[in-house]
Amino acid sequence: MKYAVKMTGPVQQVLRAMLEDAAAPRYGLQISKQADLEPGTLYPVMARLEGVGWVESSWEDPDLSIKDGRPRRRYYQLTKDGAEQARLALAEISGRREKRRSSLSAAQPGPLGAAL
Amino acid sequence: MNGSLQTQTQPATCQDDALAGFREILQVTRPGADVELIRRAYDVAASWHQGQTRMSGDPYITHPLAVATILAELGSDDQMLCAAMLHDTTEDTPYTLAALSGEFGAEVAALVAGTIALDQVKGNLPQVLAAVRSADTRVLAIKVADRLHNMRTVEFIAHAKQLRKSRESLDIFAPVASLLSMDTIGAELETLAYATMKRNRHARSVSGRLLIAMTALLPVATRTRWCEEWLGELHTLPSRRDRTSFAIHTMLGIPRLAYTVRNPAPGRRRAG
Repeated sequence: MKYAVKMTGPVQQVLRAMLEDAAAPRYGLQISKQADLEPGTLYPVMARLEGVGWVESSWEDPDLSIKDGRPRRRYYQLTKDGAEQARLALAEISGRREKRRSSLSAAQPGPLGAAL
Repeated sequence: MNGSLQTQTQPATCQDDALAGFREILQVTRPGADVELIRRAYDVAASWHQGQTRMSGDPYITHPLAVATILAELGSDDQMLCAAMLHDTTEDTPYTLAALSGEFGAEVAALVAGTIALDQVKGNLPQVLAAVRSADTRVLAIKVADRLHNMRTVEFIAHAKQLRKSRESLDIFAPVASLLSMDTIGAELETLAYATMKRNRHARSVSGRLLIAMTALLPVATRTRWCEEWLGELHTLPSRRDRTSFAIHTMLGIPRLAYTVRNPAPGRRRAG
């Protein structure tokens, strides 16, 4: 199945991290730690996911940041549709990987990663 | 009920220059203005605010006078100029709206009451904007001038408050200014607000400055968002080393981010 987002490695890492608690809003640095990605990789992925509507972002309540005298944080959250699509996509990928692994072990040992 | 203070005090001489400047502008933009009435409003305000100071240390009356001067430059009418002079008296001094109405008429009192009512609007941004849009345009013009002078002197207030005022200026007052065709004022408000936000501690650091400089690669409309987001992230990082690392890694991703932002959705879905 074709998804709105190309399921690159970093995209999968972000989605896995966010799906662990799909309803939780997180700011960029949190996701970057949880998904184990450098911010330079993370923000383009977030922009992509937001662009296709899998993720929404919004500013935190300005009163909170004002009280601490710091800039507002931008929080990201999976949309309902995004969470659904992400689950499907990730399941499909791990299913494919599973199949490949079993067929590889059943047949001759060949060069890895030729399938995709 | 009626105030009896109108000729009580002659203000100290330190505002005389500002007052003379106001007069000169008025002569150009409103040759037919009721100078006596406006002067009386100034005197009443000066006497009530006597002893009060701005955060800058200036006598308080310098603020309403500056607001009236901004409005005089726009050629505002007598009632608006009086209301500008008196706009903080009933809130910050024992002077009452009733007394003000008795001395300067119901119209001026209504303008002053309108500015106070706007201060009391609460709620989220859309609610505030809705309230603002339904307000009287003359009241709005006074509020915009009031905010402009406050932003011109914003450096004297607490940092947290500076951020709040800047945010409001961008979200509310700049759009209202352009709605009222006060374009130069809207532009100045934006400039002041951005400058204030950039004076933020992390925006001045090397990491912050690099990040801000690099956002030049992003489409104009998205720059402020990313700037603000990254400065927010920088703020959460405890050590300088973490901040430098964050800045470098984020910068490396900016070209890719620029591409992504310019081509948001290669597919068809854009639902939420």
